[in-house]
Amino acid sequence: MSEETANCTICKQPLDEYGRCQHCDDDTHTWTIHDWRPLLTLSLMIALAFSFTSLVVSSFNEKENALATQYSAAGIRVMDEWNRGVRKSRPTPAVGAFENAMVYSPNNFQYRLYLTDALLASGATDEALAQLQAFLVQRPRDAQVNLKLARLEGHRHHVDEALRYYQSAVEGVWPERSDPVPQRVGALFEAAEYLLEQGRHEQANGALMALAAILPASPSEQEKLAGLFLRNGNAARALSIYQVQLSVNKNDATAILGAAQASFAAGSYTTARRYLQQLKPETAESQILLAELERMEALDPFARSATGRIRTERTMAVFRIAVQRLAVCGVPFAQAMTFAPKGAKPADPAQWSGFAKWAEQLAPMMNERKLRGRDDVIESTMRFAFQAERAAQKDCGTPTLNDEALLLLARERMGASQ
Amino acid sequence: MKPHSERSRESLLKFMATPVRRKYFETLRRMLGPSGLISIREEQFFLVLAIAIGVLAGFSVVLFRIAIAAARLWLLGSSLHPSAPRVVLIPALMGLVIALVAVRFFPRVRGSGVTQVKGALYLYDGYIGAGTVVGKFVLSALAIGSGQSLGPEDPSLQIGAGLASGLGRWLKLSKERLRLVAPVGAAAGLAAAFNAPITAVLFVIEEVIGRWSIGILGAVVLSAISSVVVERWFLGDEPLFRVPPYRLDHAGELIAYAILGVLGGIASVVFVKSIKNLRPWLRRQPQWSQYLQPGVAGLLIGFIAIWFPQVMGAGYEWIDLAMHNRFPWEVLGILAGLKLLSTVLSFASGTPGGLFAPVLFMGAMLGGSVAMLEQQLFPAIAVPVGAYALVGMGALFAGILRAPMTSVFMILEVSGNYSIILPVIICNTISYLISRGFQEVPLFDLLSRQDGLDLPSLEEGREQAILRVEDAMHPTLGRALLGDEAIASARSIVSSTPDAHFLVSLGEGRWSELSREALLDPASDESAPVRVLVGARVPRLYQDQSLDVALRFMKDRPMLPVVHRGNLDLLMGVVSVEDILRAYRKAGLAEPETAEVS
Repeated sequence: MSEETANCTICKQPLDEYGRCQHCDDDTHTWTIHDWRPLLTLSLMIALAFSFTSLVVSSFNEKENALATQYSAAGIRVMDEWNRGVRKSRPTPAVGAFENAMVYSPNNFQYRLYLTDALLASGATDEALAQLQAFLVQRPRDAQVNLKLARLEGHRHHVDEALRYYQSAVEGVWPERSDPVPQRVGALFEAAEYLLEQGRHEQANGALMALAAILPASPSEQEKLAGLFLRNGNAARALSIYQVQLSVNKNDATAILGAAQASFAAGSYTTARRYLQQLKPETAESQILLAELERMEALDPFARSATGRIRTERTMAVFRIAVQRLAVCGVPFAQAMTFAPKGAKPADPAQWSGFAKWAEQLAPMMNERKLRGRDDVIESTMRFAFQAERAAQKDCGTPTLNDEALLLLARERMGASQ
Repeated sequence: MKPHSERSRESLLKFMATPVRRKYFETLRRMLGPSGLISIREEQFFLVLAIAIGVLAGFSVVLFRIAIAAARLWLLGSSLHPSAPRVVLIPALMGLVIALVAVRFFPRVRGSGVTQVKGALYLYDGYIGAGTVVGKFVLSALAIGSGQSLGPEDPSLQIGAGLASGLGRWLKLSKERLRLVAPVGAAAGLAAAFNAPITAVLFVIEEVIGRWSIGILGAVVLSAISSVVVERWFLGDEPLFRVPPYRLDHAGELIAYAILGVLGGIASVVFVKSIKNLRPWLRRQPQWSQYLQPGVAGLLIGFIAIWFPQVMGAGYEWIDLAMHNRFPWEVLGILAGLKLLSTVLSFASGTPGGLFAPVLFMGAMLGGSVAMLEQQLFPAIAVPVGAYALVGMGALFAGILRAPMTSVFMILEVSGNYSIILPVIICNTISYLISRGFQEVPLFDLLSRQDGLDLPSLEEGREQAILRVEDAMHPTLGRALLGDEAIASARSIVSSTPDAHFLVSLGEGRWSELSREALLDPASDESAPVRVLVGARVPRLYQDQSLDVALRFMKDRPMLPVVHRGNLDLLMGVVSVEDILRAYRKAGLAEPETAEVS
């Protein structure tokens, strides 16, 4: 771009062949630009190089993108087959395909997410975790990555880490083009269900409350929320959500069944029966619930419709069921009464001795004649049965359907008495 | 009506009527110089040129990387796992072609490129021919793209240096600047190839130039940054490696990193010694075999790649996978060993290509292997495989390339993770010390010596004992003369000494010297101050300055004053040429094999 003057501009002496002044100590002598052509040529070279490089890079990028798309499509196909159950073996080829795709599009976020899915499906959990953690370094607030990490940590039974990632997913940034609210709702639902599975009821309740605050009025979402409240033991909250849904649409079958289940769980069996009677057509779930209610009623001597004879019959039936349960628990007196196998021994004989005495006292009264008009004995028999069933719940194995009906009845009666 | 020129002049004068505008006009006139042209100093021009070099080097490195990727696509196909026939045949066939072209047309393109740039700096006044640049570009792209176990960084360095050298010659730079322009281009090429400007600057300063000077540093930094800007413009600014998060949970983990440092050091020694022995042996073979060697190396690598395709090419994509737990520890260990073997074969056979990427590959696999093994032995500990892989890279870089500072900064720069610095420093230091203990000559010095060039060893230079002024000076027996004291008083002081010359303190740190003859001259007025007799001032020295500096100032002066840094008028001693030579003789540095001043 420049040529040196023939003489040094400081001492005016001639310069040597390399353009250096040998006559003065200042080796940083001045240059004078008097020919602009080299400078222009250099600028032109840079401009041309820029254009040429741009052209080459863009055409090569196109080629690479095409290859990446091709490989990722192959990977997606394998994953689809795996997800639909068409493929029996693990989708390892999908891992290779996505790895190839990433060679040609290393910064493509979506391909990396696909790769982690493929790795997970192929059983390479550690590698998927490492991939996701590397993502997180680059995009710490990315909700999709956090959600995947939450699922992965949940799968590895790292409950606290999973909850932390769920929290970050809910608060994180979702892809720009999508509506973040449904995504957040989905993440919260997932988090709540995970908490329920882990038996963390308090935290689950918090997540469900948060959900209730942001959930749109869509019936399906609301009913899902009510279902989770119900699973978490908050039947009252579930019932109120179902009732709101029924106020909007009184024929909403899901809401009716949900309301019945919530009422049943809350111990309001009459209300539950009323809801179940509204449900047309009946579903398998409603039939099970109804059968359970009927079993309860069939054992309830204090039901309004029960005549004197029915009351005594039901009391005797309840006594038999309770004694049978005690026999399973290994109480000798009960075993003697029921011809149950004698082998079983109670874990704590002292605990059962009171029940044995009680049963011994009640046993002579268990005939129609003696029970007639003896509400006090009926009352005492029912108390005995309820307490025996509750005591047997812990140590005496799976209850029969009748035992369960008695327990529910106990819940209703004790609740009423309280 | 007034003519056009007169009207223009009038409007200019009107425009210049305000003082501020007049001042700007004066400044512009001064800038344009007396002849109406722009005058700039050469050092300023050199900085501008450094930017242009960086930009052009950036373009060329981007094109070089695309050329490698295109060659790989064309020769080996698009899959990470090419078919077996391709894997065996392509490196061998391309090796033959490359050898033919390199031996016949571009003999200077063989090897990595670092030693060639050093050679250009120290032997050929910065000259790197255009043919070398073109040959390096094409043949390295073909070699790496066809699966030879070499990397693109060192060739990028040489391409950048060659471009800079060409520009410098075209612009008729002075000899000194022309010599320095090659390292400026080298830094630009390396920075763009690594996407890491600090690493490139440090490497060029540490390994190519060997000294820190503000003049060259500015140009090197500017060129490196501008090339990285260009590279990022076209290829994006993602870091070279996506590193999983790292946190040092327990100080005990450092033991594992120290073990990695030991393994890295051993691997470095094995690698350098293999090249040290195999390269000259291959060169001693008959001339016709030179045409076959890269092909045979390619064939052997091809056979390895049937089972382990990871050893082919630079291998960055595999490093990324290894960092994310892709392979078990046994596979990682095997890959480290096979890559070492493949790289030795490729490099020793004279195939053009670089060592940086293979070194990083070996380090990553070794580090990953140690991490995975640790994870297997101690399942309760969460071992960050990515961090170990990174640290392993640094260990091999420090051990093989023997650039300790660059190795530390490289890891920080490519990972963008500062928290990893402690393991990196520990591991790199151990690896470096082991490598230095068992392999005295660093790899690049070894290569240049094998090529018959005795280029200055920068590591030796760094470790050479520096003699200082305090090693040579002798204390003054009497006091120095003062510039303000009377000549008569000074005469009485010097009468008791036989010295021929005396130092005179003129105050405020200024010193001069006076001969006995001048002082005793009867013609001078005895009441006048000594100051009137002294001639030119002499430079002062400090005890901690090197003797090389003292010699530079000595010229034909009989002695120089050594003063206290806290009191520039306090004479601590004097030093003469005889004193300096005596000190050199005493230190045993007077007759080295090659007389170098670092």
